[in-house]
Amino acid sequence: MSVLHRKLGRELKNAGGLLFAIVSIVAVGVACYVAMGSAYNNLNEAKRRYYRQCRMADFSIELKKVPLAELAPIAELPGVVEIRPRIDFHATVDLPDVAEPLNGLVLSLPDRRVQEPKKGPGLICAKHPPGRSGKLNLVPFSATIINDIVIRRGGYFTERRKNEVIVNEAFAARHKLVPGDWIHLVLNNRRQELFVVGTAISSEFVYMLGPGAIVPDPEHFGVFYLKQSYAEDVFDFDGAANRVLGRLAPAARDNPYLVLRRAEQLLSPYGVFSTTPLKDQASNNYLSQEIQGLRSFAFFMPTVFLAVAALVLNVLLNRLVEQQRTTVGTLKAMGYSNRQVFIHFLEFGLIVGLAGGLLGCALGYWMAEGMTIQYRRFFEFPELNNHFYPGLQLTGLVISVICAILGSLHGTRLVLKLKPAEAMRPKPPKQGGAVLLERITWLWQRLGSNWRMVLRSIIRNRVRTAVGVFAAAMGASVLVAGFMMADASNYLVDFQFKWILKSDIDLAFKDEHGEDALLEAARLPGVDRAEPTLNVGCTFYNGPYSKKGGITGLARGAKLTVPRDCDARPIRIPSAGLAMSRKLAEILHLQRGDLVTFRPTKGLRKEQRVPVVEISDSYLGTYVYTDIRYLSRLVGEQFAMTGVQLRTDRDPANLAALYGQLKKLPALEAVNTRADMIESLEKTLVDTMWVFIGLLVVFAGIVFFGSILNASLVSLAERQREVATLRVLGYGPWQIGSLLLRESMIVTLIGTAIGMPLGYLLAVGTSMAYDTEMFRFPVVAQTHTWVWTVMLAILFGLLAHLFVQRAIHRMDWLEALNAKE
Amino acid sequence: MSTTASDNNELLKLEPVDKTFRMGEVAVEALRDVSLEVDKAEFLVMVGPSGSGKSTILNIIGGLDSPTAGRVWYCGRELSAFSAAELTRYRRDSVGFVFQFYNLVANLSARENVMVSTEISNDPMDVTEALGLVELEERMDHFPAQMSGGEQQRVAIARALAKNPDLLLCDEPTGALDFATGKRVLRLLVDLKQNLGKTVILITHNGAIAQIADRVIRLRSGQVVEIHANPQPVPPEEITW
Repeated sequence: MSVLHRKLGRELKNAGGLLFAIVSIVAVGVACYVAMGSAYNNLNEAKRRYYRQCRMADFSIELKKVPLAELAPIAELPGVVEIRPRIDFHATVDLPDVAEPLNGLVLSLPDRRVQEPKKGPGLICAKHPPGRSGKLNLVPFSATIINDIVIRRGGYFTERRKNEVIVNEAFAARHKLVPGDWIHLVLNNRRQELFVVGTAISSEFVYMLGPGAIVPDPEHFGVFYLKQSYAEDVFDFDGAANRVLGRLAPAARDNPYLVLRRAEQLLSPYGVFSTTPLKDQASNNYLSQEIQGLRSFAFFMPTVFLAVAALVLNVLLNRLVEQQRTTVGTLKAMGYSNRQVFIHFLEFGLIVGLAGGLLGCALGYWMAEGMTIQYRRFFEFPELNNHFYPGLQLTGLVISVICAILGSLHGTRLVLKLKPAEAMRPKPPKQGGAVLLERITWLWQRLGSNWRMVLRSIIRNRVRTAVGVFAAAMGASVLVAGFMMADASNYLVDFQFKWILKSDIDLAFKDEHGEDALLEAARLPGVDRAEPTLNVGCTFYNGPYSKKGGITGLARGAKLTVPRDCDARPIRIPSAGLAMSRKLAEILHLQRGDLVTFRPTKGLRKEQRVPVVEISDSYLGTYVYTDIRYLSRLVGEQFAMTGVQLRTDRDPANLAALYGQLKKLPALEAVNTRADMIESLEKTLVDTMWVFIGLLVVFAGIVFFGSILNASLVSLAERQREVATLRVLGYGPWQIGSLLLRESMIVTLIGTAIGMPLGYLLAVGTSMAYDTEMFRFPVVAQTHTWVWTVMLAILFGLLAHLFVQRAIHRMDWLEALNAKE
Repeated sequence: MSTTASDNNELLKLEPVDKTFRMGEVAVEALRDVSLEVDKAEFLVMVGPSGSGKSTILNIIGGLDSPTAGRVWYCGRELSAFSAAELTRYRRDSVGFVFQFYNLVANLSARENVMVSTEISNDPMDVTEALGLVELEERMDHFPAQMSGGEQQRVAIARALAKNPDLLLCDEPTGALDFATGKRVLRLLVDLKQNLGKTVILITHNGAIAQIADRVIRLRSGQVVEIHANPQPVPPEEITW
């Protein structure tokens, strides 16, 4: 090792805590990059593998009932390479150990798995002519069907029983169901006993959402796979299906809408409820959004931290070169070339970059591991593991080194400018004229000499002050954005599940019912209030714009669903016309007072033209509300209802009796309990949010701490003689510390004040990035967000100052007084 | 690169050299019409008050600075026409500097401070030998902060010496030392000239030191006011100030 490297080694050692602070900032930046990049790769890879394994459908068409033989034209459509008809229905599940009825989705699967052909690729025979039975032979020739399942325990259906079921793995695990168990489902108004042969997962339900939910809740919702033949029997769907899944040729995948429009036209006689391209499939949508979010954050977060690190390093290197100007001069005088001296100082930055990079890579890998474990709570994959990505790690390392070198470059370039003869002369004193603030004489004259010193120092060291302000601004913006995300989550839960939805239990019926069902529901045990709802699926049209959706009819004066505007004020349910969600109105380019056309998917299916009389706000879905009687008339009924909302007296005994009765109701399609929903939301969404916020606070703390410590220690080093003089004059170390503390606090608070609105903008940006039909993030900043940000900024500042104070106590001020410079 | 025929014994030559510093809008004339020849193995002392231009001449001779006008020759090569890289090479191979405030690297030991010099030299002395010449073998693992001023200056001399330069340039080498230590350092420099044949140029504002030189140059306000040879240099032990 050359002697200059030994010198460097000792300088690094002496820089100690300060170096650690800068290395930490770099490490956090790299860690964010590696963690988010790894999590992105983990999820993306897992998704790609899983979708290929299960042959994920590129589109899905939901309809009332279509004979299989009528599907041939769909299979023949250009771009369509394969289709699979399926039967799927919602059902309620009755588990003996669970009081309430649970929700289930029942899907049909082929009775037997097709064997893999011995030769050639898995060609599809979707376009084969109808078989002897008169049914279209739609069984794929490949072993894997579209939206196939992956067996986790037990096996596929056997030939022993008709009534075999494969249960979704998460639901089975939560309820300790194992192959060999019997369960009861209410299928087509009849309670059926089913034999569990296996548990499975499917790429269709990576993010498994029950009706009305925004987070997976396997406690209350499960997916159940039945034999095709059994499903046909039990639902009276012999030779028919109510969902068509399809795969497209690669060229058609980018624009599936053409195929879907054509398919809808062809299938319109069979009551098309919805056509959904893969992009809009609920599970895929959430998963893709998360992956996309990771990608954006993998760019944004490291940029913030690495920019701060580079700037802080810049201040440190400037100081180091200044401090060693004589050494620089001497080295040059001895014959060291500019390049050698330049590289020697640059190596300081290089080592910071390398150390931060390596630490960040390790930390990032560990964080990715944690994130992946968190993701396993939400996303169900056959395998979701954290992997080591050498390319990503290397990129992280290179980025950190480049950033550290960039940060060091300015300071190090001073070395080149220093002429040896000049370098060995003491540095001329800095300009010491009046600062701008002194022109405000009435203020300046009121300030004591200590405050004047503090303010002059802040104003004269412009670069250092700017770096401090920038770092604090970044730290504060990260804090504000993080806290606002928590505020938004809480607000969203309150808005959707406490202010709009006020019922305790929502029941959804399989079919339409009359007013007698409402009376029956009102008579259930413990029910204080019952309100009817009518959901009508439809397609909205406005000129060139159209959108599939639905209208919910509510009783006049309904108290259990209260549509609200953006300020959370209740909106009157119109007795004629629609109260449309802002998102849908935007999609359809509609405003209040405009007319909209819709065609219902049930009833008369006659196009109606109605006014949009209110615009409502919500953060989930695209709800449209109107009066239930008005809506009934629009679909050709006097009064129809498809659900009922209940408010109960919450007496546990009554509740148990109520659940008992609900389990016996065959007409039920789904039962949602608001308390369960809120609990599952809080358990998953809000808890995860706190882990995320905890990390952000630590990261922001590192930025605050590192930048304040650096600025204060550099300031102390520059002013050793001044400090020594003050000590001679009788100042104690705490008094001197208070000068530096005032400096750092002013800079920190200015930065925080700038950073807070930036954080707000960041939250607005996040909200815009997450603005989809399914889900929107509110922009909410509670007072405590601002208060906490300022308090944490001060706290981190004080923490950093403790180290500065220790340096002041340890400083040999007598030596500083005698020093040459 | 220009070369000129030179006397075989001539090491350095300054042909009327001017140096002007610009300090903002003011031009300060540091040297005016300075001409000078220095022979090999000569002990030259430049004396003059502060601001007389001593350090400026030393810096120009040492390749740390360049003249505004005039030419400087070293062993027949025009130093003033050297590129930055050539100047670095020149400093590395031919010149050893000794500074008033030693300029040791604080976080390197005495041995390591000497190594800073030997590591870039083509023909370095052994580090222990260099420290032996200044009688500091015993303290070679001490850091500057653990040494007296005289010891630090001796380390600085060992550092200058270790790369075996022909020319030693000493800027007030005794300026920060007490009388006895100062004389010890001077003895060392005289020995280097006498025993190793080094050319030593020493600048000082202390007139008494001039007695040890082969030749004395007096400077005032950037001009040479007197050059006189000293056929009988006084041993450092015999001078007082």
